[in-house]
Amino acid sequence: MTNPIFWAGVLSLALIYGSIALVLNLESGWGGMWDLGTAGLLGAGGYSYVLLTLDNPDLGTRFLPGWPMWLAWIGASLFTGLVALAIAIPSLRLRREYFLITTLALAEIIRQLIVIQKDITRGHTGIANLDRPLDSLVDARTYNYIFLGITAFAAVIVYLITRRLGHSAYGRTLRGARDNEALALSLGKPVNQMRIKTFVLSGMLIGAIAPLYVFYLRAISPGVYASGITFHVWTALVLGGIGSAFGGLFGGLLLIVFTEGIGLVHIGAFPDAVKENFSIGLLLVLVLRFRPDGVFSERRTFRARTRTISESDTRTSDQLSTAGQK
Amino acid sequence: MSETPPLDLILQNVTKTYGGVTAVDDVSASISTSAITALIGPNGAGKTTLFNAITGFDPADSGSITFGGDSLAGLKPWQVAHLGLIRTFQTPVGFTTLTVRESMLSAALHHSLETPRKALIFSRQIKEVEQQATEQAIEIATELGLIDLFDFRTDELSSGDRKLLEFARQLMANPKMLLLDEPAASVAPNNIGRLAQLILRLRDERGLGSLIIDHNLSFLMQIADTVHVLDRGAVIASGTPEEISTNQDVMRIYLGEKADEV
Repeated sequence: MTNPIFWAGVLSLALIYGSIALVLNLESGWGGMWDLGTAGLLGAGGYSYVLLTLDNPDLGTRFLPGWPMWLAWIGASLFTGLVALAIAIPSLRLRREYFLITTLALAEIIRQLIVIQKDITRGHTGIANLDRPLDSLVDARTYNYIFLGITAFAAVIVYLITRRLGHSAYGRTLRGARDNEALALSLGKPVNQMRIKTFVLSGMLIGAIAPLYVFYLRAISPGVYASGITFHVWTALVLGGIGSAFGGLFGGLLLIVFTEGIGLVHIGAFPDAVKENFSIGLLLVLVLRFRPDGVFSERRTFRARTRTISESDTRTSDQLSTAGQK
Repeated sequence: MSETPPLDLILQNVTKTYGGVTAVDDVSASISTSAITALIGPNGAGKTTLFNAITGFDPADSGSITFGGDSLAGLKPWQVAHLGLIRTFQTPVGFTTLTVRESMLSAALHHSLETPRKALIFSRQIKEVEQQATEQAIEIATELGLIDLFDFRTDELSSGDRKLLEFARQLMANPKMLLLDEPAASVAPNNIGRLAQLILRLRDERGLGSLIIDHNLSFLMQIADTVHVLDRGAVIASGTPEEISTNQDVMRIYLGEKADEV
């Protein structure tokens, strides 16, 4: 339970989830696109990375480009951006729950495509014993520390990028269009173009994070990319605070560390899967009971002032009067 | 028609039908950008439909609409806004979670500066534009009496303040003409006179005209230079407020002398 190597692994996974949740916040929290297709994009990124690095003919697959790790990493990001574009163009004609259902369905289609293309992906069997960056430098046991460093570095980069986007003029209008699309249009904002750009950018970022998840698992198979991961990332974002710049990362850390911690405790006849769902539910209730907007909030991120009720009551009427008389 | 100044908003034979219902029926009008024009008519007369046709939210089936000589046919709402035709909506919801400052800056910046790439790379150019826009926003907010609320969120403003924010945002968007959809709705009766003064001031001090839909006739008659009366989709009368208030057809619509026709 106090094994530091184990906890380094847990923290790495938590940072990966947190990074994905930060990207989800960009498209869903600020962009207002309720996307349930995260698993699909993560799958597209993970598989495109792995397939681009393959060079071993013994695997029995037809596609062996054998790209170096760094090139495949970039390729995965670009490919996932393209997949996101293909999803965005039809889906963004829809709003809210219709968009949500469509993205959920398209993510499952991506997963099924991976299963079907056995010649290239090895279907359900998947591919194991994958290389990891800096693998040769240390022995397998202490690799967890190296990996923690890599994921922490990635999380910081993703945080800085998404934070900067959120605080930019682009992020401001993105949030405005989320609040009131018709108003944004009437002020000359090409809302649909902006959303497509945001969705593709989110896809590229998820595609860039996806190889980390592959490194964590050291293997890839379609089962990994079922919708469960989407809901876990959403849970992380809700816990941390939808719309806040830091919330997703914090929520990811909180969710994974808490559930892994509970996982270590043996509770009688509780099967592991039940225990995990139970602990996620418990965490959600505990956090949202005291912080309905999540631990961090959009208001705090953008430093809006809060007014008292008495102030608003007295001001209203003289407001229009000074405006009209000047 | 040929001598009209080129900047005007010109409607020619605009028609819009929904199924079998003709919501806007062959409407032609020339609307000055520097005057206050009222569009009145009973519920269902086609006022909002005409607004939506002009602003591209729901394009007309036939006829032509030009603004400053440019045809608005086939333009998306955001493209219409770039020509300087800036509209408001019946309920001043605004960008609920944005502050007054953020709403006004968003209105001011051109969308080509609002891209992820510009956000991540070319920050100096944006900084200068933001600086300029902030100065302008402070000026306008001070003028409208919104400056004390500059960093409050829209959803925390009273409806009166939100109405002012509507104007503040529109002025930041460099309008050539305002299209106001029921500006007096949800304004307390004792504040309507002040709203009227504000619209008049924009015309007199900035040369900024408005096309206004409203149900409040006394409010419109007080400020309008020209009034067009719509009934069942068609313009049945146009003229000064004095001419309209004595027009028999208009009286019949509003006073409802339907018994004579039966």
